[in-house]
Amino acid sequence: MSKQEFLSALRKKLSGLPGGDIEERLNFYNEMIDDRVEEGLTEEQAVEELGSIDEIVSQVMSEIPLAKLVKEKVKPNRSLRAWEIVLLVLGSPLWLSLLAAALLVVIAIYTVIWSVVVMVWAAGLSVAACSIGGFVSAVVLAVQGNVAAGFTMFGVGIAGVGATILMAYCCAGVVKCVFSLSGKIFIGIKSFFIKKEAAR
Amino acid sequence: MDIQLKRGLLDVCVLAAIKNEDSYGYKIIKDMKPYIQLSESTLYTILKRLESANMLSVRTAEHGGRLRKYYHITPQGLKRIEDFKVEWQEIMSIYKFVTKEDDENE
Repeated sequence: MSKQEFLSALRKKLSGLPGGDIEERLNFYNEMIDDRVEEGLTEEQAVEELGSIDEIVSQVMSEIPLAKLVKEKVKPNRSLRAWEIVLLVLGSPLWLSLLAAALLVVIAIYTVIWSVVVMVWAAGLSVAACSIGGFVSAVVLAVQGNVAAGFTMFGVGIAGVGATILMAYCCAGVVKCVFSLSGKIFIGIKSFFIKKEAAR
Repeated sequence: MDIQLKRGLLDVCVLAAIKNEDSYGYKIIKDMKPYIQLSESTLYTILKRLESANMLSVRTAEHGGRLRKYYHITPQGLKRIEDFKVEWQEIMSIYKFVTKEDDENE
């Protein structure tokens, strides 16, 4: 590999670093090669002595603080041009409302899921209330002398207790399901953003 | 070798390599070679670190029709070497303590 090939390959691999930093490193390697050539090595031999580009790059990356790398990553590759800023401002009625809509959809999904929980609990409570009502009316009817109707309502009450017990199991199951589901949705939303970032 | 320890040692080695006269990258590597192996990218990092710590200064001079960077040790750099010598005395006494039991067992 010639000096120029080496330096341009290295430049490409180091493109994640700040611009000034890359130039300085390339100048350093350039000088190192020139000094070896001056000692009588050929360009190819001099390049070879520096080691493989991948090794150099991985060492450079491991020595640079993470904060610096992240800063370089988060920083936009170029500053926004004037017309892009104008477009961004002019388009704000559009993209702001789209963003709000997306947010509302997420909130709506959550509301729907949690309303299932509320519904199951409401059904459970109403069955419980029904059984209490059955027992009370059974006593009232028995006192009034309508024994047959009283027994019927007693039966309704017992059925209500049974249904309440079943509904309690149901409630617990649904709540458990919803918890894990909403957790999964949350993870899904997060991974959506992370994947987008990684794909860039 | 422990990475922190090696890092500290390499800093002092590079300072020692420019202690008596200004030197340049390739010469530093060549001078250190008999004692400690040093890659270019490591040297670059060390030089940067020492420069930002004001232990050496850099000047660019022409050499054979091209530019070469020369590194010059500062008073702080010289002090670092002196500090290292004192530190090393402490390390040696720690070494004695660490290996004491080995000797007794022999």
